[in-house]
Amino acid sequence: MTGGRLHPFTLLAIAGTLPALAWILPAPAGGAVTTAVALVLTLTPGASPGLAGTGSSPGWRPGLVVLRTAVLTAAPFWLFLLLLHDVPSTIAIGLRLTTMIASVVWVGALLPPGRLVEAMVAAGWGVTAAYLFAAALSAVPLLKARAQRIVDAQRCRGLSPRGGLGRRLRALRALALPLVLSVLHEVDERALALETRGFVPGARRTPLAPPRDATAERVGRWLLLVGCAAALAWRLAWRG
Amino acid sequence: MSVRLLVLIPAAAAISLALSAAVDAVALPLFLDTTGTVLATALAGPGAGIATGVLTSAVNTLRNPTFWPFVVVQVIVALYAWLAARGGLFRSLKTAVPAGLGLGVLAAATSTPISYVVFGCTTTGGIALTTALGRALGLPPLGACFFGSFVADFGDKAVTFALVTSVLHALPRRTAARFPWALRAVGAA
Repeated sequence: MTGGRLHPFTLLAIAGTLPALAWILPAPAGGAVTTAVALVLTLTPGASPGLAGTGSSPGWRPGLVVLRTAVLTAAPFWLFLLLLHDVPSTIAIGLRLTTMIASVVWVGALLPPGRLVEAMVAAGWGVTAAYLFAAALSAVPLLKARAQRIVDAQRCRGLSPRGGLGRRLRALRALALPLVLSVLHEVDERALALETRGFVPGARRTPLAPPRDATAERVGRWLLLVGCAAALAWRLAWRG
Repeated sequence: MSVRLLVLIPAAAAISLALSAAVDAVALPLFLDTTGTVLATALAGPGAGIATGVLTSAVNTLRNPTFWPFVVVQVIVALYAWLAARGGLFRSLKTAVPAGLGLGVLAAATSTPISYVVFGCTTTGGIALTTALGRALGLPPLGACFFGSFVADFGDKAVTFALVTSVLHALPRRTAARFPWALRAVGAA
C-alpha cells in the first residue's frame, strides 16, 4: 500500500510518532533511525510536491522534490545549531528537528486538506471543526494574492516602502490596513452565505467521499501509540 | 457561537499568515503572526482569540513544521489581548504600544523554554544570530536564548498591537458593533 492511500489519521499518527520517538529515544542513535525513516518516507509513491508548497520542479520526480523540500527546510537549522552548540549537541538536536521537519513535509505532500476534512467529518467531528480548518486553508492563498495586489496598487500610487523605520512602519500600515479591513467586511457576507445554506455550528455533516479506514490501520495507530508509551517508559526506567 | 464569529476565526488566522506579504514589501524584521489572534480577541473575546491562535499554528505548521510547538504562545497572546481589550487599551496608540511591548516580554518569556528545549534556540536565522550575540556578550545559554526571543518579539508585538488598534479605529461603527468586544476594546462602550 502506498502512503497516499493510507487513511489521513494513519498518516498523521506516523508523522506524530516519528518526532516523538526522536525525542524519546537516546541520542544520537534514536534520532538517526527516525530521521532515516522520515527521509525514506518522503520518497513514498503518491507524494505530490504541489501540496507540500514546493511548487513545480520540471525534471524532478515528485518524491525527490518532497525529499529536497525536507532537506532544504532542515539545512538552516543545522547551520544555526553549529553556530550555537558543540558538535554532539548539534547532531542530537539536528536529527530530532530533521525528523520533525521531514515527517510534516511528508504528510503535507501526501494529505490533501479536503481528504483530512472528510476523514474528520466521517469520524464524527462537528461541522465547526471541519469548516474552521478548510476555510483557513483555502483563505490563506487568496489573502496572500490580495495582499500582493494591494502592495502593487499602493506602489502605483507612490507608496515607497524604503527609507527610515518610521517611513517603513507607515508604509506597513498603508499595506496591512486595507487587507485586514476588506477581510472583516467580508465576514458578514460569508456568514450570511453559510446561514442561507443551512450551516449550523456543531451540526454533523454527511461526508461525500469518506476515506476508507481499515481495521488494520486502526490497530496500527493504536500500536504506534502503545509503542511511544513503551519507549517513554523504557527510557525513564533506563535513565533511572 | 454565532456563525459570524465562526467565520471570523479562519479569516483572522488567514490574516496572520497573509500579512507576511506586506512585511516582505517593507523589509522589516517582523513576524506579525499573532495579528489575527489579537484582532479576533479584541473583536470577539478570548474564545475566538484562542481558537484563532491554535488554528493559525495548525495551518502554519503545514507550511513550516517548527511552528506547532509555539502554539502555547498564541494562547498566551490571546489571553493577554483579552485583558488589554477589557482594559480598553486599544483606545489609542499611546496605550496600545506599551501594552504591546509588555506582550513582547511575556511572549519572549513563554517562547524561550520551548525554543531552548526543542530547537536549541535556532527557530529562525535572526533569533539564532541574536542568541549568538547574547552568548558573545557573556550571557548563559538560557539567558542568550531569552535575549534572542526578546529582540524578535519586543518590537513585533508592539507593531501588532498598533496595527490592531488602527484596524479597530478604522472599522465603521456599524461594523464594529456586530462584534461583541470591538467597542469596549476601543473604549467606546
